[in-house]
Amino acid sequence: MSKQAYNDQIVTRYLLGSLPGAEAERLDELSFSDDEFTEALETAEKDLIDAYVQGELSGAALEQFKSYYLASPLRREQVRFAQAFQVFAEKSAAAQALEVEAENPAQAATKRKVSGWFSALGVFTVPRPALQWGTAFAALALLIAGGWLVFENKLLNQQNSQMAARRDALSKREQELQMELEGQRTISAQTEQELARVREERERLGQELRRQEAQAQQRLTDERRRAPAGERPSPPGGVSIASFVLTPQMRGTGQIQTISVPSKTSHAAMRLELEPHDYSAYRVALINQSGNQTLWRSRQLKASATGDGQTLSISFSANLLKPQVYVLRVTGISANGASEIVGDYPFRVVKE
Amino acid sequence: MQNVEHKKDWTLTPGAFRRLLDWLGEGTDSSGQSYLEIRRRLVAYFDRKNCPAPDDLADETLNRVARRLDEEGVTESEAPAKYCYIMARFVFMEHLRGAQKTDALLDDLRRRQPHGTNLAASETDDGHAIKEKMLNCLEQCAGNLEPRSRETIIRYYAGKERAKIENRRALAEELEITMNALSIRACRIRDKLEDCVRRCVGAE
Repeated sequence: MSKQAYNDQIVTRYLLGSLPGAEAERLDELSFSDDEFTEALETAEKDLIDAYVQGELSGAALEQFKSYYLASPLRREQVRFAQAFQVFAEKSAAAQALEVEAENPAQAATKRKVSGWFSALGVFTVPRPALQWGTAFAALALLIAGGWLVFENKLLNQQNSQMAARRDALSKREQELQMELEGQRTISAQTEQELARVREERERLGQELRRQEAQAQQRLTDERRRAPAGERPSPPGGVSIASFVLTPQMRGTGQIQTISVPSKTSHAAMRLELEPHDYSAYRVALINQSGNQTLWRSRQLKASATGDGQTLSISFSANLLKPQVYVLRVTGISANGASEIVGDYPFRVVKE
Repeated sequence: MQNVEHKKDWTLTPGAFRRLLDWLGEGTDSSGQSYLEIRRRLVAYFDRKNCPAPDDLADETLNRVARRLDEEGVTESEAPAKYCYIMARFVFMEHLRGAQKTDALLDDLRRRQPHGTNLAASETDDGHAIKEKMLNCLEQCAGNLEPRSRETIIRYYAGKERAKIENRRALAEELEITMNALSIRACRIRDKLEDCVRRCVGAE
């Protein structure tokens, strides 16, 4: 039987029960019919057991050995024998070595030396002249090797120094970057503080503004209560805007509201109280009632909700107003763009 | 044998056994060595198949071969070893079928499962005592070996890994034989030692 039909690896797998069925059957047959294979199998089995006993098996082979091979009581017995045999072989080898040393120390010493790696040079077994030449050659070789080692060592030292310098430079740069980063963090923190302060100030001013607006609104309401259709007195110091509140003209009432406009007034601000409507926007026109002439037109306005109803706020140049009767005509504009007159606000101007 | 169907109407007679020995020896008087060798291979075969009673199955195989020889005469078509293997396969198949029928396979599994712990248990419980006994027997049996065989096996197994390989190479050179021949020689000495130790431990 040719040994090519199997190899150590296949035999080991066969012993561990991990060969495919057909392949295992082929080796089964060989184990009967081929003496050479039978011997190889037995040797391989002993080597496998020894490898397990000496802890040389690992991974899948070790697992398979434990799970499959040790399943058989006969083979467990073989493993026990191998364990004992291992101890016996080691003890015997040690005892044999001691015996040799005791019988002939010099020979034992030589034998130890020869069995060492240095024996590979064959220095101690060649004739003397050859020994001398050999020694000289070895010394020369050692000298060259030593020189080369010194050179390499120097080169390595240089490389080490360069690497150390580079490492120091990198360390320094790292520290600088760290400091820079810290600085930026400080600036960032200061900026954040400043931003927070500005936001706080803005909030405070906003509150103040709202408070003042509320006060102004309150004042306006109070004033309107006191003089519902009257003029608004201008603040002292020649303020250029005069504010008025006009109510819609009631049918059947011919009374016209009178407003007093100071001579230095530049703008007249009117607040028109609307009757309930649902127009999306309004337009207001200032009409000279005597000449039926439109003096001023507003852009589209949105009504503001106030209390029970809505108001429109307008403002135009006071120069348009002369001491006579005017009408502010309000037109409502619906969502589809259609418009209609929703009310007239006549008033008489008196110049102060 | 529980799992293999026995041919109860036939028993191994001395004449049938003699015919078996002659047939296994292939015409030479091997003094029963051929029988022992083929039986050893049969036991190893059934043991590799993890059969629980490999000795019984080996004997059953040889009985069937002897019966065939007794009833049908010498078979010329196959060499004895190969013929025994073919018969062993049948016996093994029958064993498997029987095991399945009688749930003996479960018993096998139960026997197999605690094997690791069995070994471990024996290591912890009376393992030391057995090892001690084995070592004593090994000393005894090794003492009975020829000095040359004793030295060969000690040197063959000395050292570990690379050192062991180097030792073996040096030993093969000294003995002027190949590494393969050395391993076979060491294997036989070890088998002899193992047999001796088994008998020694059993006798004590």
